Order: sequence, then structure tokens, then C-alpha cells
Amino acid sequence: MSYYYMANPRKLFSKIYDQYINKIYRFIFLKVNSQEIAQDLTSETFLKGWEAFKKSQNPGINNQEIENPSAFLYKIARNLVIDHYREKGKTQIVSAEYVSITDPRTNLEEEAMLSSDFNAIRGALNNIRDEYQTVVIWHYLDSLSISEIAKMLGKSEGAIRVQLHRALKALKNELK
Amino acid sequence: MQEADLVKKIQELKKIKPRKDWVVLTKSQILGPPTTFREVSFWNIFSPKKWWGVQYKPAFATLIIVGVLVGAFGFAQNSLPGNFLYSLKKITEKSQAVFVSETERSNFQLGLVNKRLEELNKIAETNQVENLAPALNEFQANISQAAKEIIKSKEINVKEIVQQTEKLKENKQKIEALGVVIGESEELDNALSQLVGREIKDLKNRTLTEDQEKLLAEAKEDFEAGNFNEALEKIWLLSNQP
Repeated sequence: MSYYYMANPRKLFSKIYDQYINKIYRFIFLKVNSQEIAQDLTSETFLKGWEAFKKSQNPGINNQEIENPSAFLYKIARNLVIDHYREKGKTQIVSAEYVSITDPRTNLEEEAMLSSDFNAIRGALNNIRDEYQTVVIWHYLDSLSISEIAKMLGKSEGAIRVQLHRALKALKNELK
Repeated sequence: MQEADLVKKIQELKKIKPRKDWVVLTKSQILGPPTTFREVSFWNIFSPKKWWGVQYKPAFATLIIVGVLVGAFGFAQNSLPGNFLYSLKKITEKSQAVFVSETERSNFQLGLVNKRLEELNKIAETNQVENLAPALNEFQANISQAAKEIIKSKEINVKEIVQQTEKLKENKQKIEALGVVIGESEELDNALSQLVGREIKDLKNRTLTEDQEKLLAEAKEDFEAGNFNEALEKIWLLSNQP
């Protein structure tokens, strides 16, 4: 039994929430390019996560333990993004320049985000294939190791290395 | 472009973050009100059931009860919204409010609004996200109460109102600098507008010196521009001129 089941579940999930909220939001935001949709899908991710976390306290026949909360939350987030696009019937491509990054009440820190480099990389990431986006975000932004990504995607470490290499190449082409 | 440069550019995207207030509200919506392990333990220890069979001498029991109450009320003064002992702090404030004279009632309520802002500041500084939503609710409730008192009060200590509203402005700025958006306080602005309007009307019926007339004209300008704090400050200066 993992240590997650030894103490108050609310307190533990609260810690998980604090630890992953920024990462999950950013992961979804970079895929949907809308603050509003990213907020909705992030809330849904954590709501589903919390429901599953509560159930997992009594691991019976149908309730599985959550060994890795990060992988678990990313899995929910990915599925929600896929469902979102499936509902819309097509892949939404929005130019990065026209999308609000955070709250419209910008402060200095947020204004610094709007540098040309920032917009260029966002636009480029937006234009590459979905599986490339995922490995780039996980490895270079969320610092997940190759082996963690391989486990999460059910692929070999070699396949992930190749995918990362191709993703960087695709990004370079977009930035030319 | 070198790979290292590209990776550096990718990491620029780490700046994408959700709004702090949204993070806090979403958390409280998902997890509901806090019922921490500490609270449960407190009730387990002090539950009458647990102590039912124990025979205490009455004097000793009274002493313990008084000690616990004094300690709890004292300790509660440092508690924050969302904490278990916060309701004791509110009880203390409500009992204090009963003994405040009518002239001082508005200032007292504004003082409480400032207290709420100081609590919010403490919460934001220490990143206690769980307490942020209840603290914002407490702040709004106190603002409402202060606005009602200002409208209701017939006698008012203008100097102290000016001091409290200035402090309120400073506290609000401090909190907003920490990334917590507490929104507009329309109710309070509306109350201050009524107060300034009332004072100006009253001063118009008095005999004023040339300097006082000038200050009154400036106060009217501020009032019309919606700068109620400044208008009040001038009214106070005017009333204190020989």
C-alpha cells in the first residue's frame, strides 16, 4: 500500500492539487489555447482525480490504488483534451498571438511573457503534431524523465527518444 | 538554432500559470470546506462523551473550563478565516461591537475591514490557499457591515474615517501586489458617497471663512469626481480651521 492511503485523504489530495495545478493547467492550456477552456478542463481533471482518489482509499475489486498521482492526472487531462476536440469535431488551431495567456488584469510579470520569443515558441508548439507537443511539454517543461514518459504512453524508452528528437526538429522547422 | 537554445525557448513557456484566485476557488469547490484531522482530534479530546465517566471535583472542573476558554479565546485572536478557532475571534469582535458608541461604530467596522485585509495579506504571503476563499468572504461581509454603519450613523468622526479609509487603500494595494484580486468595494464607495454628500450639504448651511469656502469647493470637486477619501479629508480640514 502506498503512503497516500495512510493519512487524511483530503489533506493529501490538497497537497497533490497544490503540487500539480500549475503543470496540469499549462499542459491543457498549451493544447487548447484558451484560458476559459483550460480552466474548465483543469477543474474537471482535478474533480475526477479527487473522486478516484477517494475511492482508491478502499481498494476493493473495482478500486485501484493510485501509485503515481502525476501520471494519473496527466492521463485524465489528456483524455479530457481528446474528448474536447472530439466534441468539437475538429482540431482547433488558434493563432498564438490572439490568445490571452492569463488573466486580462495583467501585471508586469505577465507582460514580460508577451516577448516575441515567447509567442514564437507558443505558435511553433501549437503547429506541431499532438504527440510531439505532449512529449515536449512533459520532458522540457514538466521535467518528466524519458522512462516516466515511456510508462505513461505505454511505449519503449527508445521510441520516446526518437519522438523527442523528431519533435525538436519539427519545432526548429516551425521557428525558421 | 542549437538544441540548447531551443530548449531554453521552450522553458519560457513555464511562465504560463493559472490565475491565483481561480486556483483557490477551484480547490475549495472540489475539496469542499476543510475538515482537518486536527479538528477531529480536538473534538475527540474534548467531547463530553469521552469525559462522562470521569469524576472531577467541581472547582477543578470549573478551573479547567475557564482555563480552556481563556486560552481558546486568546489563541483565536491569531487565527485566520477558515481556521477552526476563527469563529471565536468573530464572537469576540461582535461582543466588542456592542460596547462601541454610535459615533465610533463606523470607524470600528472600518477597523474590522482593515483587520480582514491584514488577514488576507498574511494568507497570501504564507500561500495558505485553503484560507483564501473564506477570507475573501469575510472581507466582503465586513465591507457590507461597515457600509451599512456609515449610512446609518448620524454622528461620525470624520478624522478617523479618513485614517481608516486611507489604511484600507494601502492594505488593498499590498494584497493586490501579491496577486490576489479582491475586487471593487462598491457598497463602501456608495456609503462614503452618501456620507460626503451629507457633510457637504450640512456645510453649505454654515457661515464659512474664505479659506473654508475654498476647501469646500475643492471637496465638492473631489466628490463629483468620485474621490470620496480626498473629499472627506478636505471636509475634515475645513471643520478644523479656526
